[in-house]
Amino acid sequence: MAQLTADGKVLVVDLAGDAVRAVTGSMVAYEGAVEFAGAGMGGGDGFRAALKRKAGGESLSLMECRGTGRVHLALAARHVVVVDLAGETLQVESEALLAVTSGLRLDVRFAGLGGAAAGQGVATTTVSGDGQVAVLSDGPMIALEVAPGEPLVVDPDAFVASSGAVSTTLVSGVSWRSLVGEGSGEPFSMRFDGSGLVLLQPAER
Amino acid sequence: MQTWTAASLPAADNVNPYAFCVDLQGEWFLRKGAMIAHYGSIRFEAVTTFTSARAWLAGRFSSPVYVQDWVVAEGAGKLLLADRGFDVNSYDLDEGNLTVRAHNLLGFAPTLELKQSIVPGFLTLLGTGTFLASSNGPVVFVEPPFRADPEALLGWADCPSPAVHHDHAWMAANMAGMLQGAMGRASGEERQYDFTGAGTVLLQSSEVVREDPALLQLVEQQTHGLTDAQAGQLGRRLVARAQQQ
Amino acid sequence: MGFEVVNSKVVRADVSPDRAVLARRGAMLGYSGDVVFRPVHGQGRGVGGAVGAALSRESVPMMATTGSGQVLYGFRGLHVTALDLDGRAPLFVEADRLLAHDADLQTSVQLIASGGVRGALRGAASGQGLFTTQVSGVGAVALLSHGGTFALEVGPGEVVGVDPQAYVGHVGALSVDLRARAGWRDAVGRGSGEAFQLHVTGSGTVYVQASEQKL
Repeated sequence: MAQLTADGKVLVVDLAGDAVRAVTGSMVAYEGAVEFAGAGMGGGDGFRAALKRKAGGESLSLMECRGTGRVHLALAARHVVVVDLAGETLQVESEALLAVTSGLRLDVRFAGLGGAAAGQGVATTTVSGDGQVAVLSDGPMIALEVAPGEPLVVDPDAFVASSGAVSTTLVSGVSWRSLVGEGSGEPFSMRFDGSGLVLLQPAER
Repeated sequence: MQTWTAASLPAADNVNPYAFCVDLQGEWFLRKGAMIAHYGSIRFEAVTTFTSARAWLAGRFSSPVYVQDWVVAEGAGKLLLADRGFDVNSYDLDEGNLTVRAHNLLGFAPTLELKQSIVPGFLTLLGTGTFLASSNGPVVFVEPPFRADPEALLGWADCPSPAVHHDHAWMAANMAGMLQGAMGRASGEERQYDFTGAGTVLLQSSEVVREDPALLQLVEQQTHGLTDAQAGQLGRRLVARAQQQ
Repeated sequence: MGFEVVNSKVVRADVSPDRAVLARRGAMLGYSGDVVFRPVHGQGRGVGGAVGAALSRESVPMMATTGSGQVLYGFRGLHVTALDLDGRAPLFVEADRLLAHDADLQTSVQLIASGGVRGALRGAASGQGLFTTQVSGVGAVALLSHGGTFALEVGPGEVVGVDPQAYVGHVGALSVDLRARAGWRDAVGRGSGEAFQLHVTGSGTVYVQASEQKL
């Protein structure tokens, strides 16, 4: 069983004979016997299209690291946090996903204001099953609780991940976001109601 | 990693070096984009819309150049603020004055008054109250006499506005290189802001140039008047400049 | 004396008639006292002379700081790591990542990949950082990295692979070669062209950046 350990801005992966999937290009160093290959999402067609980021049209691509050695992963000096999942589900902004252990399933949803074709909204990856997920944040991660009667409003560019029984509403036309040059597309915010957890980064994408 | 609730978030403190929480009870001036999340019921409205209704509020903000980047947050609830992953710090003024780089000012209580500094790109806050400023890396405090790289200068308090110091020795030594046609950006040693007097100078580890898509469009529009040959020349110089990074 | 760490992105140096500092141009954040800055052209002699310097994209413009006073150094919010060299072994550092060093230290440009000039040409064309600055002597060095550095110890019989864009430097009896390998393009994310890894063996310490972005 591979083991993920977060160390500041680096994720240390002890493969122990197993494999993990990680964002292509995130490897900075490795020790011992490790093999690298391209990997799929584990889902059907249409997922790659759904993953394209609104601005650049880039898609999230994964690689597989397999072996008995140790891999050091990092991406743009962002902070790393490891979340343990035991049969639960984590919704992660696709750009914030760094690595997952085998046994976790990845699906993609695109929640847009005008639909996927409009190119606005949030591309979320749903991670479910048993294992570990490494998540990235620009600056140390902030965890905020959502409770009944205490809804949380979030800047989508700061949103990283959420879990629990929360409903997410996208609210358009907010004036606290600058229209020129900040983020892209229509300014909108995300509102979380219900009971769960939201992970944020102290920066805008 | 600590999990915060609406109740456990601090009323006026950092959550981590890059995010600050304010317990809003009333109004606060905020730069657009500063808010990353909030609990409770809060409304955000552009400062420019506060004309007749509450002119006294708009009157606290006296900077025509920057006003379109600012909103008033009004309501009650915990408000989380951050800026591009920069370090965020709060400062308390007590009948004081502090001048800070406009792009690093995040928010302030309306008990303070804001004016444009005589130094381009800087805003001066006066009075008593709290404000938030971000910096690229932790803020370094030094006392005059001191000369600061303009990009690294974050602000200054109490001492007089700086004078510009040109390093003639540097430029003379650089002339040889310039005559050979070595074009490129100034490295920052040519001039500094010179501080004297009693007060504090605030520094950061250089201003990271932020991409402004609007600026790119504006500049490109201005090149339509060039001949094709001139456009090619400009293009080559810009490529050389980009490669200098 | 060394460089005083002010915070993770800024160091302070005491400059005196006995101690001049060489720093990367643009790295001065501010100063107090009677300090003079002079641009320095070229960067040591080193391997290959003109050929080495021409091939090398590593000719970072430097400046000399002399006089008497205190200078604050930092660069674009990048992380700064301060090291003290005790003269026993030279430090190899990717030249883009050298922020400042005592002027008494000797520096030269070195090829760290095997394969000679031909290999270097191939490597330079692919844009991988083969050229490093070798720093020797006793004195203080300040290095830059995106996100900070971490150290990996390499022992006899062990192999460490490093993304060339994340390579910061190394100390010790290490052999650092540039090699192509299958699957590497996926690992380091370079979509086109050949992709190389730094293959490190021997006995020493490799400094790796906590980010895959080249400075």
